[in-house]
Amino acid sequence: MKRNNFLERLIGEFLFLFLLIPQQIQAQTDTVKTNRYIMRTMMYGIGTSNIYDSYLSPQNYKGIDFRISREAMRFTKRGKGKVSSQNFLQANFSYTHNRANNNNTISGLINWNYGYHHQFPISENFKLLAGGLLDMNGGFVYNLQNTNNPASARAFINMDVSGMAIWHFKIKQYSFVLRYQLNIPVIGIMFSPQYDESYYEIFTLGNTSNIIKLTSPYNQPSLRQMLSLDAPIGHSRIRFSYLADMEQSRINNIKTHTYSHVFMVGIVRSLYLIHSKRGKPLPPSLRVY
Amino acid sequence: MGYRKLNKKQKTMSLSSYNIMKNKIILLLLIISNLTIQSCIDGEQYDNTPQGNFEQLWTTIDEHYCFFDYKNINWDSIHTVFSQKIETSMSNKDLFEVLSDMLYTLKDGHVNLISSYQCSYYDAWYQDYPHNFDEDIVNDDYLGKASTDYYTTSGIKYKIFDDNIGYMRYESFANDVGNGNLDEILEYLAICNGLIIDVRDNSGGTITNATKIAQRFTNEKLLIGYIEHKTGTGHNNFSSPTAINLKPSNSVRWQKKVVVLTNRRCFSATNYFVNTMRYLANVTILGDTTGGGSGLPFSSELPNGWTVRFSSSPILDADKNQIEFGIEPDIKIDLSTGDTMNHLDTMIETARKLLNK
Repeated sequence: MKRNNFLERLIGEFLFLFLLIPQQIQAQTDTVKTNRYIMRTMMYGIGTSNIYDSYLSPQNYKGIDFRISREAMRFTKRGKGKVSSQNFLQANFSYTHNRANNNNTISGLINWNYGYHHQFPISENFKLLAGGLLDMNGGFVYNLQNTNNPASARAFINMDVSGMAIWHFKIKQYSFVLRYQLNIPVIGIMFSPQYDESYYEIFTLGNTSNIIKLTSPYNQPSLRQMLSLDAPIGHSRIRFSYLADMEQSRINNIKTHTYSHVFMVGIVRSLYLIHSKRGKPLPPSLRVY
Repeated sequence: MGYRKLNKKQKTMSLSSYNIMKNKIILLLLIISNLTIQSCIDGEQYDNTPQGNFEQLWTTIDEHYCFFDYKNINWDSIHTVFSQKIETSMSNKDLFEVLSDMLYTLKDGHVNLISSYQCSYYDAWYQDYPHNFDEDIVNDDYLGKASTDYYTTSGIKYKIFDDNIGYMRYESFANDVGNGNLDEILEYLAICNGLIIDVRDNSGGTITNATKIAQRFTNEKLLIGYIEHKTGTGHNNFSSPTAINLKPSNSVRWQKKVVVLTNRRCFSATNYFVNTMRYLANVTILGDTTGGGSGLPFSSELPNGWTVRFSSSPILDADKNQIEFGIEPDIKIDLSTGDTMNHLDTMIETARKLLNK
């Protein structure tokens, strides 16, 4: 009963977030050109990973995680210029070992997030962002010793709620940006074989019953959070990030988790898009070729 | 819906609802993140001690093994008996012996415990029976020399006997068979009056190879069995059976009589192959009962890194009967001592007579 009440409250909060935000949007400042500024970052990272998949083994596998990400943020014309979009693509590869250090798994995941945040300026230098993201994932975990259950496929799509806090500050004459972002899946679908079902039965014999399941924080309590600092170094703006990627699921009596803690670094670029109308060439002063 | 000026009261209300909404968003994120953080999903991590390894092995088998009821095994009482043999100070080799003995109670050739120095293996399913295969006689008196007397491709040795009977010897379903290889074999043997497929002493491999060969002997889609899988940790948590159909190959197909030779050492994928072939119209199974092994094996591991393999998904025949303990032949026959002394293989000789009738 407690869980039902909690879920009702959760769903209520979710609807409130997505249905009432547009009504709260009030008069905006001129946004004609703000949607042409893009913040784009390419980052490379290394960290640790802890992988558990009861379909493959009852043991936790721990090891190294390599990651690459690409992010683009820009204002949109939605919500009278108060809504920004975020396009975040990351791919990781992990090489992990069991406790006895006599077996390894390799795993990989490609994750793409796209969505919108409504921006709430608290002060000139500090703002909160809240919104939703489409969160698509595809990957695998491969156990190097197993026979008929050597690998576990990862395929899931979620709708995430997402919050962000961005703080611009200065130390002496140098300006920095500190950001924290939290993404939490609230509803989605996930592929999973049944408890001890072989991939032979699914893909060769075609038994696909119950392999796509609805997910929620109850059976897929996961989160991704990132803390980043943009610092001016020379003429560039360098981003240092800590990413905590905590994916968990309990589907078809199969339990999985992937806990990754990754430190990433990359260059932040701010771009301004120039659109030429109807294919008309840009003025000579703006053309690079 | 144009831009409109707000009076002081409206501005105050707007600011107030704005702050309320911000607070609610923060509250929502905190609630969900709190729920997420508190809901760690993990399995029980047993200690790497003799007790911990024992408990992990017992639990893995308890939650995943698929033949408890069919074999009438009381796994709880097995725990009681064998847990008393576990001592904190016992050596790895002693622990391996106790754990292996516990697994032998499952009477299953698909159950193994594998360490860096030993692999436990239940073998009573063939050791307690006549072998019914003399490799020297088959190699020396029937196949002959590899250079001049027979062909080999994809692990299949094949030739035409003097009485115009084709002979295929397939020693392991782990040897991958290509469709092109099968085309060549069957085209070469096409002039024969009949075909002997000898899978004695073939202890298995992959079902894919078994299916690929069997598809050459049917002209129509045929139900040959079912597979189940466990859906949960309970001993009786099984899915409804999924049908396994054999579809005819779209390449060269054999249309004449076939005899499949079997002995007790036909296990796992070979047991599956024999089960498939016995539903085909022109096929006779001749020899001894197969060794069985109908559970599709999965792997797991213990805290000390030892690997355990066990049957997890039972494969049934077309009447939904278990074939874990083997398949009886259409014609039961053993090698006779007299034939063996005369360098004759009783099963091959009987098959030749049958095919030349």
